[in-house]
Amino acid sequence: MSVAAADGLTLAGRDRRFGLLLTAPGLLSLLLVITFPLFFTLYTSIHDYTLLTPNYDTFVGLENYQEALDEEYLPGSLWVTTKFVLASIVIEFIIGFAVALSLHATRRFGSIYYLILLAPLLINPVVVGLLWRMLLHSELGIVNYAIGLVGISPVSWLGDADVAFWTVVLTDIWHQVSFMAILLVAGLAALPREPYEAARMDGASTISCFIHITLPLMRPVIAVAILLRMIFAIKTFDIIFIMTKGGPGTATDLISYYIYRAAFFGLDIGRASAMAAGLLVIILALTAYLYRYMNSLK
Amino acid sequence: MRLFLSVVAALALAASAAQAQTIRILMETVPDTRYIQELLPQFEEETGINVEIEAISYIDMHSKLVPQLIAPQGSYDLIVVDFYWVGEFTKAGWLMPLDDLAERDGVDVDVYVPKLMDLVGRVDGVLYMLPFYNYSMALIYRQDLIDDADEQAAFQEAYGMELRVPQTWDEYWKQVEFFTRDNDGDGNRDFYGTVIQGQRGDCISMQWANYLYSQGGLYHDENWNPLLDSPEAIRAMEYYREAVENYSPAGSEAYCFDEAFNVMAQGRAYSFVTFNILYAGFEDPESSEVAGKVGITPNPGGGLNGGWGWAIPNSSPNKEAAWTFMKWAESAAVAKERAMLGGAPTQAQIFTDPDVMAARPYYPILGEILAGTKDFPVFTYTTEFVEQVGLELNLAATGEKPVAEAMAAAQEKLRALLVKDGKIEE
Repeated sequence: MSVAAADGLTLAGRDRRFGLLLTAPGLLSLLLVITFPLFFTLYTSIHDYTLLTPNYDTFVGLENYQEALDEEYLPGSLWVTTKFVLASIVIEFIIGFAVALSLHATRRFGSIYYLILLAPLLINPVVVGLLWRMLLHSELGIVNYAIGLVGISPVSWLGDADVAFWTVVLTDIWHQVSFMAILLVAGLAALPREPYEAARMDGASTISCFIHITLPLMRPVIAVAILLRMIFAIKTFDIIFIMTKGGPGTATDLISYYIYRAAFFGLDIGRASAMAAGLLVIILALTAYLYRYMNSLK
Repeated sequence: MRLFLSVVAALALAASAAQAQTIRILMETVPDTRYIQELLPQFEEETGINVEIEAISYIDMHSKLVPQLIAPQGSYDLIVVDFYWVGEFTKAGWLMPLDDLAERDGVDVDVYVPKLMDLVGRVDGVLYMLPFYNYSMALIYRQDLIDDADEQAAFQEAYGMELRVPQTWDEYWKQVEFFTRDNDGDGNRDFYGTVIQGQRGDCISMQWANYLYSQGGLYHDENWNPLLDSPEAIRAMEYYREAVENYSPAGSEAYCFDEAFNVMAQGRAYSFVTFNILYAGFEDPESSEVAGKVGITPNPGGGLNGGWGWAIPNSSPNKEAAWTFMKWAESAAVAKERAMLGGAPTQAQIFTDPDVMAARPYYPILGEILAGTKDFPVFTYTTEFVEQVGLELNLAATGEKPVAEAMAAAQEKLRALLVKDGKIEE
């Protein structure tokens, strides 16, 4: 039997209403801050808004979207972005999980490991790009010098199209992998002990514990970690801007830098907004998919 | 209490006076900005106007400027404008015409080298900028190697011609081939005839322009018809590709000028086609291993003209003070002092000023270099042109696209942008 109060609401209902009241100001301002730029972008994307004529006098419908789709190098940029996102997430996940498992098992000096692990994440991405550009200089960089000492011939880290792609992927991993690791460590720390104890009683090995207990229990955390990293990876801009400018050729031409060029070099904010809106739809679809997948695990 | 009030009042007055007398300038982190900063105290003492210079790197400048220029009231009183942006900024109406001010205060703009006045001074007869410094491009080479008797003999034997400061492209290219070496004999070349700054976009666009001019090529004819698929342009790209493959460090297709500079400064290359303003860096023992061994000469066939101009944006909150500063920075005395510090002059008489020549003996050559330069296409979409053509050039340089195909694409890109700008008919 539920306890009905004078206003006809159950206790749980009143709790909910009180909760809504408390969160309303925050939610409202969040809504404004998020939806205003969003609709502004959509509004701009259907106008001929350029930096030379910054006004909304010319409504062009979906023309900007059509123009963007017709561009010669857009499909290539989308493909490079897809490869980049997949490669960086998969590798970051594998390394991140390995690091998380070892950190979780660490009994001593934990904070020192955390400090070392977190250091790259604390560096500004522009600095990361500049740092690696110097280290990887094909003639004068320390990396080629070091591999030369063990007899490997110098690598053209940013000059060769195939190598350059992996160079930016690895730079991104170096920079961001600890984010993945930290999320996963938090997940591991929150796991219940009982299933492991029960499994040990039944004589399960470490590996089967990992496969049959850790992985299934960690699935929601893994999904969140991958979702967050995926969104960040799609938006990667700084290291491309600093290290390669999308080159050599189009080998590292990620979509964010592509859109940036349309806006600030092409001066065409309308078309750039159309592309940004398209990108948003893609990210939303991926997010929705992952969100549903997460819910299906509960 | 009364004392307290009067102190507060005095402070408030001082603050508002200071506020009225502060100008903000957005500049690039380059040597000439540093020289202006060094000379600033003079100006502040003379006029009582406070100057805040915000110096940032080139790549951030355009995207930082544009929002300030669109705004009715921006945060910069004075800006410096790269020649690339001149078409765009004037077409958009962001810069204030200076003719009236120059006439009122008797500022003589005939002191400037006409080439620079055309590039970063007047647009269609209207004075929008005063030329600040020039970064015309030139050939920087190792004078010590040219003077070396053994090298001279070996070169004579190999090519049947004298080893001297190159006068023609053909002569230069033979030297590039001659000096490319594998000194430690490990099968990889380790001394380079030239250094490429081939990174996609701005870096390759600027350097390749010199290759184009060396072959007698041009971007467009006098009626703006694009010429990027001409035999000269294709030959220029073939030379460039050859340099990437055979005579420049592996990976230099990803260098910008700073990385290329370091290769040359570490004594690993014979020559480098680049901005004349980098020469001071090669002569500075702190940044260069080859100080005292480097010479500078015009790029055979002509180099790229480049420069920055001072301009007052229409969104400038304090135009009069900005103009006062501009007049000071471009006064004969300050222009000369800046040149003595190593700055790149824009006023004709500075190149051959006796005091400047005493401090910097190579300045007359800089004047000669500037006189032989050619202009990049300056129109409303120059910035986008640099990006689009810079991509095609880089695709050809890396071998991902055949040279002729890349140049045909570059030609179409330039044509489309010129049509969009109304320079030519479709």
